[in-house]
Amino acid sequence: GHGDGRSSVRTSGEMIAYRSVDDIPSSKDLMIQVDQKNEAILLPIYGLLVPFHISTVRTVTSQQDGGHSYIRLIFNVPGAGFSVNDLPSQKFPRSIYVKEISFRSNDVRHSNQVVQLIKTLRRQVAQRESEKAERAT
Amino acid sequence: MADSSGVHQYGNILLGGRGGTNPGQLKIHPGGFLWKKSGGGKVVEVAKGDISSLNWTRVPKGYQLAIRLKAGSNVKFNGFREQDISNLNNFLSSNLGLTPEDRPLAISGRNWGDAELEGNILSFMVGGKQAFEISVADVSQTQLQGKNEVVVEFHVDDTTSANEKDTLMEISFHIPSTNATFVGDDERP
Repeated sequence: GHGDGRSSVRTSGEMIAYRSVDDIPSSKDLMIQVDQKNEAILLPIYGLLVPFHISTVRTVTSQQDGGHSYIRLIFNVPGAGFSVNDLPSQKFPRSIYVKEISFRSNDVRHSNQVVQLIKTLRRQVAQRESEKAERAT
Repeated sequence: MADSSGVHQYGNILLGGRGGTNPGQLKIHPGGFLWKKSGGGKVVEVAKGDISSLNWTRVPKGYQLAIRLKAGSNVKFNGFREQDISNLNNFLSSNLGLTPEDRPLAISGRNWGDAELEGNILSFMVGGKQAFEISVADVSQTQLQGKNEVVVEFHVDDTTSANEKDTLMEISFHIPSTNATFVGDDERP
C-alpha cells in the first residue's frame, strides 16, 4: 500500500522534476521541449523555459490553422485527473492550478513532433505508475 | 565591466518578454539602465527613480536581473554570469540605493501554487518560489469560465517575437472553491 513514502512520483509532496537549475536542459531556441530523462516538459513563458512534470499533464493536442500550429496543453486539476491518493488539493487546499496553456507555433513539424513526444512520455509514465500501483496491492 | 566613468557595460544581454527574448547591449550607469537591441531598433531605458526593487534569479546558464518599476510593470534582463553579481550588487547599492534580492526559480514541475498580483505582474509561485510571471499589460482579455476557471488571453503581436518558435497565447487557472482569495475577485482586468 502507500505510506512507504515512495509510492508514486505523482504523490503531491514528492513530485520533483528538477532539483537544481543546472539540471534543466538549456537551449538557444525558446520552444516547447520534452526532457525524457527528467520526465518533464519545458514551456517557453516570457523568455524562460518553465518546467512542468509530465504527470501534471492531462492531454495535449495540436491543430493547424492558417500556416500556424496551435498546441494546447490541459493539466490535471482537482476534480479531474488526479487520483484520490495523489490529490494535491488535500495537502494544499488553497492552491491555484495552471489548468490550460496554449501556444501558437510557427513550425508545424516541430509542433507535431513535440505533441507526439509528450503523448508518448505521458503514456509511458502513466503505465509504469499503474503497474507499480498494481504490484503494491 | 566598468569603465572609468562608472558605467557597466554588457555586450550580450537578453531582454525578456512575452514574445521571447531579444539580444542587445546593456549599460548600467549611476542614473539607471539603458538597453539597446543588437542591430538597432528597440531601446529600453529605466531611470533610477522609477525603480521599486531589483531581483536576481538563477536561471539555466546564468542569471536574470528583474527590475520592478514603481509604475507596476517590470523589465527582465537575462545573460548575467555569476562573477557579474557581486560586482554589480556593490554598484547598484551605492549608486541606485537598491540591493537586489534573490528570487529563486521553482523547478519542481508542479502545476499548483499561488498566484500573486502586484502592480501589472502576476506571479505564479510554487512552494514560495517563482515558477513564471506574466504581465497584465500583455493581456487582451480575461474571462471567468464556470465558477472556478479564469482564462487569460494574450495579445497577438507579431512585431516583437524574437527567437521564439512557440508563443504563449492563452493560460487558464483553476481556482478551487476552497481558495477564498480569488473567489469573486473581478479586480483583474
